[in-house]
Amino acid sequence: MRSRLPLTALLPLILMGVGACRFATAEVPPRKIPIHQNWTLQPGSQIGNYHVVGGLGDISIELNGSSVKAPFDGKVQPTDHKCVAFSSPEVPAYLFRLCGVKRPQLGPVEAGQVIGRGEVLQFAAMRRQPDGSWAMVEPAVEVLEKTVGN
Amino acid sequence: MTHPDPHSRYSHHYTSFHRQGDPIYYREVPPLAPKRQPSSAPPRSRSSRRRAAPAQPQPTRPAQPQPTRRQKVRRRPRSRNNVLLAGGSMLALAALVVVPKPMSEDAKPASDFCQERVQSQSVLSRAELSQLLAVPERSSKESIRQMIEEPYCNLSPLAVREGAIAEREAYPLEFDPQTWLIVLYEEGEYAGYDFSFHRE
Repeated sequence: MRSRLPLTALLPLILMGVGACRFATAEVPPRKIPIHQNWTLQPGSQIGNYHVVGGLGDISIELNGSSVKAPFDGKVQPTDHKCVAFSSPEVPAYLFRLCGVKRPQLGPVEAGQVIGRGEVLQFAAMRRQPDGSWAMVEPAVEVLEKTVGN
Repeated sequence: MTHPDPHSRYSHHYTSFHRQGDPIYYREVPPLAPKRQPSSAPPRSRSSRRRAAPAQPQPTRPAQPQPTRRQKVRRRPRSRNNVLLAGGSMLALAALVVVPKPMSEDAKPASDFCQERVQSQSVLSRAELSQLLAVPERSSKESIRQMIEEPYCNLSPLAVREGAIAEREAYPLEFDPQTWLIVLYEEGEYAGYDFSFHRE
């Protein structure tokens, strides 16, 4: 009796919690990023039996398991090849692609909130082009510092 | 570039990636729920259990008839348990209704992002908005200014791209004042816009 009661009382909580999570994950749509520089080798490309994890335009930062934070209020969406896209309405015309983030927190995030952790972060800043594609540009140090902390 | 992850991971495409992401949520959200538990649901069950437990040996009702008729004695605690269960699940429901909204969906004051107010009467009409949306990126800032007035406020200047300072201007929409249009200029050029929702 003693052991059953808390379990039965908690069960609906747990079940509904799980249900709510499922609902939350289902809400975050993936993002396709048409990249202006149509390079052959990009994250996810294959070379022999190996996969490319960073291409031209990616800034690689050795994190050693540290956290990656949202540089602004915005949203995290999954993209291809184990990367996520971060965008913020406060920074129009820009999009950031982060590869190497394990177990990313998808959906809306606040500035400074942890998106995930990783060993090596591949960070790419992209600027919107008039034709709707995204051009890779060199990110400012300021944004990188906000993303990985000082 | 050395990456410690097993290479096989990169062979996964989006769908499997997304699935990989799923378990995170199972792990991440429980902290939310258990946090609530001590304050809302379980403490009641505990305290009531405490009451119930000493009630069995002390008051004569439940303790004495145990050897003779168990069923009758057990029914009472069961009905209590049912009440507790119902109450617990109701609380859980209430907690779920109250908790899960992420912070960012809440309305935030415009002063959060406004660094300096320019023209507090400034709003963007439908006509102005549609004109602006028709302008291609990289047009000059002057050409945009001819269509729309001065902004309600400026956001703090920011370097997103190395070597360029981004100026950001914000306008509430006349027909939907909780939605703001943010325009970004770099080097005297219009770089793009976005909508920020739920601002007041």
